[in-house]
Amino acid sequence: MNPLEEGLSLRRKPDSCVLVIFGASGDLTHKKLMPALYALMVRRLLPEHFAIVGVARSEADDDAFRGDMKEAVKKYGRDEFRDDTWDELASNMRYVATDFSDQTGEDKLEQLLEELDGQHKLGGNRLYYLAVPPVAHPTIVEALGKRRSHATGWARVIVEKPFGHDLESARSLNELLQQYFTEDEIFRIDHYLGKETVQNMLALRFANGIFEPIWNRQFVDHVQITVAESIGIEGRASFYESAGAIRDIFQNHMLQLLALTAMEPPIDFTAESVRNEKVKVLRALHTPGPKSVVRGQYGRGYVEGVEVPAYREEEGVARDSMTETYVAAKLFVDNWRWADTPFYVRMGKRLARRETTIAIQFKRAPHPPFEETTAEGLRPNVLIVHVQPDEGVSLAIGAKVPGQGMRIRTVHMDFLYGGAFRTGMPEAYERLILDAMLGDGTLFTRADEVEEQWLLVDAMVAAWQRDRPAFPNYAAGTWGPPSADELLHRDGRSWRRH
Amino acid sequence: MSAPVDLESWTGEDVNLADVGRALAQLRASSAEQGRPPNLRTSVMTHIAWVPPGWLDKARAALSGMGERHPSRTILLVPDPDAGENRIDASVSLECYVMPGIDRSVCSEVIELHLLGTLAKAPASIVEPLLISDLPVFLRWRGEPPWGAQELEQLVDLTDRLIVDSTEWDDLPSTYRQLVELFERTAVSDIAWERTSRWRTLLASLWPGIADVRTIRVRGTAAQAQLLGGWLRSRLGRDDIALEHVEAERLEGIELDGEAAPFPPGDPPQPSDVLSEELDRYTRDRVYEAAVRGAITE
Repeated sequence: MNPLEEGLSLRRKPDSCVLVIFGASGDLTHKKLMPALYALMVRRLLPEHFAIVGVARSEADDDAFRGDMKEAVKKYGRDEFRDDTWDELASNMRYVATDFSDQTGEDKLEQLLEELDGQHKLGGNRLYYLAVPPVAHPTIVEALGKRRSHATGWARVIVEKPFGHDLESARSLNELLQQYFTEDEIFRIDHYLGKETVQNMLALRFANGIFEPIWNRQFVDHVQITVAESIGIEGRASFYESAGAIRDIFQNHMLQLLALTAMEPPIDFTAESVRNEKVKVLRALHTPGPKSVVRGQYGRGYVEGVEVPAYREEEGVARDSMTETYVAAKLFVDNWRWADTPFYVRMGKRLARRETTIAIQFKRAPHPPFEETTAEGLRPNVLIVHVQPDEGVSLAIGAKVPGQGMRIRTVHMDFLYGGAFRTGMPEAYERLILDAMLGDGTLFTRADEVEEQWLLVDAMVAAWQRDRPAFPNYAAGTWGPPSADELLHRDGRSWRRH
Repeated sequence: MSAPVDLESWTGEDVNLADVGRALAQLRASSAEQGRPPNLRTSVMTHIAWVPPGWLDKARAALSGMGERHPSRTILLVPDPDAGENRIDASVSLECYVMPGIDRSVCSEVIELHLLGTLAKAPASIVEPLLISDLPVFLRWRGEPPWGAQELEQLVDLTDRLIVDSTEWDDLPSTYRQLVELFERTAVSDIAWERTSRWRTLLASLWPGIADVRTIRVRGTAAQAQLLGGWLRSRLGRDDIALEHVEAERLEGIELDGEAAPFPPGDPPQPSDVLSEELDRYTRDRVYEAAVRGAITE
């Protein structure tokens, strides 16, 4: 042990490695991955010896790839662009054009990786990022897997969502990956878990003595989770038509937010402990009956004053499409802590505004000793975790209106993340790429989690085969179909006011 | 780091603490426009700075932008015991920073109190009513503290962390003997020590070769040289490591047994960055304490 290291705030520094991005010409690489790598470079968080290899079908050379990535960082990066920082990052950036349809592409990549390894002392360590459509996964995984036996160093693979299309395809993909990689070498990404505010849910619950004792069916009336987007499908018609809101958001982001909200305290913050607790919640989720699920599809409407087309009018979408752009559901976590406590979730596109929140609504005070008119308009206590935007936490409480007499109104106590910590919040992909380089899988989903998520989705979707809702059933720029409101009204509740 | 977009202020001569409290409340109320949501008052600490008049400009410069990084109530105490009269002159300002993407600002409060005459000898009773409950109190002491003097003793008892810069002191390393006396009473940070951080990281990377070093030669301030020497002695458990010091305004180089250590990567941190680092620490720095003790064993 090095005695000189004690007390030094040594940052977690990953091993030297090469990052191989499959799908290097895609949107994700431009908008998220490369800006994240640049941000890590600015903060000196990348390994001492590091190289990037972009792999895509389009013909290009190293210089063209670097130029393309440079523009992407300038456009989408969160830091001021500095030529010296970029030059350092780009100096070990290479490109391979192949679609892996034949052995030549594999050989070309392998040859380059060996060359980089020798040149830059990368220790044979490789991080593969599959930023490609699921259809390309088998070819790439098999190609990578075949060469593992004679490789030195570690190999890890990051798999972008969607992870499969249903339980069967997810299982097949898991089996394929597990043929060549161990579970701790597989990093299934759900970028929501890389968001600071999502991780803050763990801090809020388990670092504060006041919340956990009341975080249960005795004190919580119900939970509402909203993942609302004001944007449409943004040219992703071919993906969205086959996915819909349930596969795009519910299967991954929504269920992960729910699991973090409902999970038991893990014994420590290791990947296995956290994921063990999340998977218990997913297993305890009761499949909602058809009356507890609402589907929607947006028609024409106005978003921020601009008229926007209906989903069926979007380019690439079938005129009679039955794909849902909105889902609301009443879910129950069948365990000791949450029995009979509804979790109302809703998610959709072209809603009134972009907002991701988790609202814990507590039961009303049992016997307020005030006249009824005194507390008119007083709402129950709600703890709201704002995941995005306005990242932070609010607590709605009743307070006396100053003046004569006693009038009580609901006010919000706000903690805004950016107000207390002005250090600039890292983008989710920065954290997740770095964690994968470090081999830390805490913020990634495990095989059994993904399968549990698909099990629930498949059961819900199976019921949808039998009916044909009258789509479109909500106007763009609203909060979804009226039947979503009825879902809560039937229980004497309503969606949170905005 | 952005400049505050909204800076309200109030000044008063011969005031009492109630005047200061009222001024703060009025500034807070007036800082948000009518009909707009109120600004947020978020604090993570109370930050007291003891600033003899000669240090005032430097202190203000180091504090510039600190409110944005560490939203806090900052209380600058400017002692003037020889003023010939006993009174408090105060200025209070509110620095508000727009939060990106949100129609609200977050505000920090800066209270500057000039303690004239005998009031300079009883600062604790003045500061205590202004502390924000339940949040840590950091005390930045500019210059060499008057060891044993009542103003230092009183304020140390109020604080969770004392921040000094031993570069500002004379007679090193013997002055460190006085500092050691405070270690059991409050956590201590030393900006001189923080400035050696990049170099210590670099020296640590030379392990295990560095384990047998006999002489360390430091081109820098006396404080940096003493602390680096003390650090090596304490970490390696050897009192026989000789220190050679070449005076320079900042840490420019280190030689180990006559061989120059490589220069650490990156740029040296700015003064406000160094102070900011120290304001993020909450517990005792045992390695620093050992380094100080190691410095006075020479």
